[in-house]
Amino acid sequence: MSANASQITSEHTLYAEPVLTIGGFTATNSFLNSLLVIFIVAIFALFFKSKIKPVPRGLQNGVEAAIESLLDVFDSVTGSREKTLKFFPIIFSFFVFILLNNWLGLLPGVGSIGQIVSEHGEKIFVPLFRGGTADLNTTLALASIGLAASHIFGVIFVGWWRYLNKFINLKALAEIPGKIFKEPTVLIINPIKFFVGLLEIISEIAKLASLSFRLFGNVFAGEVLLASMSAILAFGLPIPFMFLEILVGLIQALIFSMLILTYLTVMTAAEEH
Amino acid sequence: MGSLIDTFHIDIRLLAAQAVNFAIVFLILYFFIFKPLSKVMADRSAKIAKSLADAEEIDRKLAEAENKYKVRLAEAKKEANLILDKVNRQAEENKQAMIIRAKEEIGQIINQEKQKMQVEKAATLKEIKKETAGLVIAAVEKVLGEKMDGKKDGEMIKQMIK
Repeated sequence: MSANASQITSEHTLYAEPVLTIGGFTATNSFLNSLLVIFIVAIFALFFKSKIKPVPRGLQNGVEAAIESLLDVFDSVTGSREKTLKFFPIIFSFFVFILLNNWLGLLPGVGSIGQIVSEHGEKIFVPLFRGGTADLNTTLALASIGLAASHIFGVIFVGWWRYLNKFINLKALAEIPGKIFKEPTVLIINPIKFFVGLLEIISEIAKLASLSFRLFGNVFAGEVLLASMSAILAFGLPIPFMFLEILVGLIQALIFSMLILTYLTVMTAAEEH
Repeated sequence: MGSLIDTFHIDIRLLAAQAVNFAIVFLILYFFIFKPLSKVMADRSAKIAKSLADAEEIDRKLAEAENKYKVRLAEAKKEANLILDKVNRQAEENKQAMIIRAKEEIGQIINQEKQKMQVEKAATLKEIKKETAGLVIAAVEKVLGEKMDGKKDGEMIKQMIK
């Protein structure tokens, strides 16, 4: 290595680095990758839409088979085809968006093509692209959308009053005077129910954190792992880890979307006692 | 919380931008793939279901038609048998009637012939008697060698013939 190169520090940051600024908006390398995903999806969708025919052949067959098998998997979670069909577009979008973001982070060039930026007198290598999901902003946005969707669907499916009672259980409190003489235990049980409802609010925040950090952590760790392996020996050694990361990317996309689907199903289910 | 935001560089604008990115992907997938594809798939399912139902209907109709055909065939056979029976019976009756009439006619003819024969027989007998008388007379004349007078002669012959 030349003396000049040794001065350039290249480290994996926990955050996505800004690469360009357009009118006050700072676009990070992860953001660029997400734009790439949109681009790919748009091109594929436009290409695919023109090919949709009543009698399927080739690509359409494959996509239909994939969708059908996914629908079957979703059915096992939601329990009804009707719900599955309602949730499918958003869950499928999660899956595609996360999967492509994960996999694009693995492409050669992502993380290795970039520019050298001077910062605090140090030369820092800033990659032009970084896996979209290797940025907490992205995963947090996805988790927020998923949870928001689960709450919106919850209101639509079970109605305002029952939705509210899942968190602030006014119904349980209101039941106490009516039942207190028949079964005095309501005096103990229903306040507990009320507090359980309050706990649900905390669990919603926990869902947000677990969803976003799980995805971010897995993808980011994968990139660090690959970079470390390349640093040890750039030829051959990263290949098995590459396959591992391809698998991880798929699994994480699946986990994220299935968890959102589970939340959707739970939130849209009428409360049972 | 502040350190969390600092550590991960959480930027609300970036977060919103990523949310918009996802929304775009969702919209693209929804309007360009999911909606048209599910429509096509649903249409196809409906078409197949309809075809199957149609096929069943056709089968059912075919069976019905066959049944009808069989029933009609049986009816026709029965009718034909009836007609045949009737015709046979009529023919038999006709035959019998004709036989009876023929017998009657034959009887009549026989009777007529019998009468005719009787008359003829009587006439023949009469003639024979007449001729025999003449013959006897001639023979007696020859035997007797002489001629008797008419009156006597006549009486004698009459007696002889009796």
